[in-house]
Amino acid sequence: MDPISIAKTTRTPRIDFDFSSNQFVIAGESYPEDVSAFYGPLLQRIADFFDGLSNVEISFRFELIYFNSSTAKIVMELFEALEEAAVSGNQVVITWVYEAGDDNIRELGEEFSEELSSARFILEEQAI
Amino acid sequence: MSFDVFQREEAVIAQGRALLAERAIVDPAAAAKYDELLKAYEKLARTTRRLIKLSDRNEEQLNHLAHTLNEKNATLEGLSDKLSKYLSPQIYRSIFLGQHDDSLITRRKKLTVLFSDIKDFTETTEDLEPEDLAHHINTYLTEMSRIALAHGATIDKFIGDAIMIFFGDPESRGVKEDAVACVSMAMEMQRCARNLRAQMAARGFERPFQTRIGINTGYCNVGNFGSADRMDYTIIGSAVNLAARLQTQCDPDGILVSYETYVLVRDIVDFEERKPADLKGIRRKIKTFAVRSLNDPGLDASRRFHYDQEGLKLSLDLTKMVGSARAEALHSLEGIVNRLRDLPEPASRADLEPVVSVAREDVRLS
Repeated sequence: MDPISIAKTTRTPRIDFDFSSNQFVIAGESYPEDVSAFYGPLLQRIADFFDGLSNVEISFRFELIYFNSSTAKIVMELFEALEEAAVSGNQVVITWVYEAGDDNIRELGEEFSEELSSARFILEEQAI
Repeated sequence: MSFDVFQREEAVIAQGRALLAERAIVDPAAAAKYDELLKAYEKLARTTRRLIKLSDRNEEQLNHLAHTLNEKNATLEGLSDKLSKYLSPQIYRSIFLGQHDDSLITRRKKLTVLFSDIKDFTETTEDLEPEDLAHHINTYLTEMSRIALAHGATIDKFIGDAIMIFFGDPESRGVKEDAVACVSMAMEMQRCARNLRAQMAARGFERPFQTRIGINTGYCNVGNFGSADRMDYTIIGSAVNLAARLQTQCDPDGILVSYETYVLVRDIVDFEERKPADLKGIRRKIKTFAVRSLNDPGLDASRRFHYDQEGLKLSLDLTKMVGSARAEALHSLEGIVNRLRDLPEPASRADLEPVVSVAREDVRLS
């Protein structure tokens, strides 16, 4: 599957999905004008890729600085997809990166991770 | 089919509807209960969808507001930066911290006031091109301002080539400390002015600036003067006038202070007492003192000793008390002590012998 690489804009994050190494990154701010148009194809590619995938190591990094409520819903969808991939026998590591002192982003990551049981969750503080 | 943020919830609802349509739940009571629960789930999904929409809209507005605020802040920062150049930093700070009262209220405070002026400015600059004049005067005032701010002075105003500065308001380190800071600053200003003069001479300016500085300490009225629409934060009072008059009597490149400033600073600066002066607009004769050690890079109370009482004045610079100078000073002082000890108690002041005077550069006794 071809990788996806999208540069960040003021309203949308940088996307780096490398399907050959199973490394995925979402980084930056996220409050797209049309959240469905931006994330719809990405979620579809993820769903297609995870479908039938087994016994592989998957790394998904969320390096979000700010996101709106619709993006929060998308992030929860991604967490669910990753949890399902972990249940299917893959070694899934979700790394939630937050800037030092940003309690809001850190707490959101902690709350999202409460739904995980098979995927591994790592909180990573990043110096500003 | 286009992506829907709630497609997972929609899929669950569709599945539930299909189960009902297929009559997969045989028990009518259970089917009715299931239908009720499904409707509640649908309602919950709709409510969540509305809340997320509302939240997105609110966040969008907040972002817009934040962006507008950032723009306004940047504009205000630019304006306040420009404004700051027209105000003394202390006044600017107190205004922007909301501590400054903009009513026409004044109060009395003991301040040390400095006036500096360039000697014969008009005559010395009449042959200069306006551009050169602007360059020289701006360089001079920029350097003087830099020194003033470094010493914590409040720059009241520039009046052409003259500068009016005071210490003690809005921030004061104490009356004595303010006076010391002011004289220390004035000494640095004169050293700097001398360097500038050399630079001006090197640029071909025939008559480089010579600065005169007058300093006085006394009670002033400080606060807002003017009208309710246009006011200046400044000082007025006879102490201010005296500082201005002292400046006119000062030697070129010198610093002349009043007795009130002298007594506060004499511990750490060498002065030469001048003849009491008649100053315009001031009825009494004014005792004046000229700073002697303009080259002194710093003021240090630990290396000087001053004693001043009726009939006895002693000024001692400990840094110069080495070798034979120390021995000579000790010898002179011992002689004076012996004479004082042997001096019979006079019947009246008229019986007193003439004043003892030891003329040495570093130990002065009169």
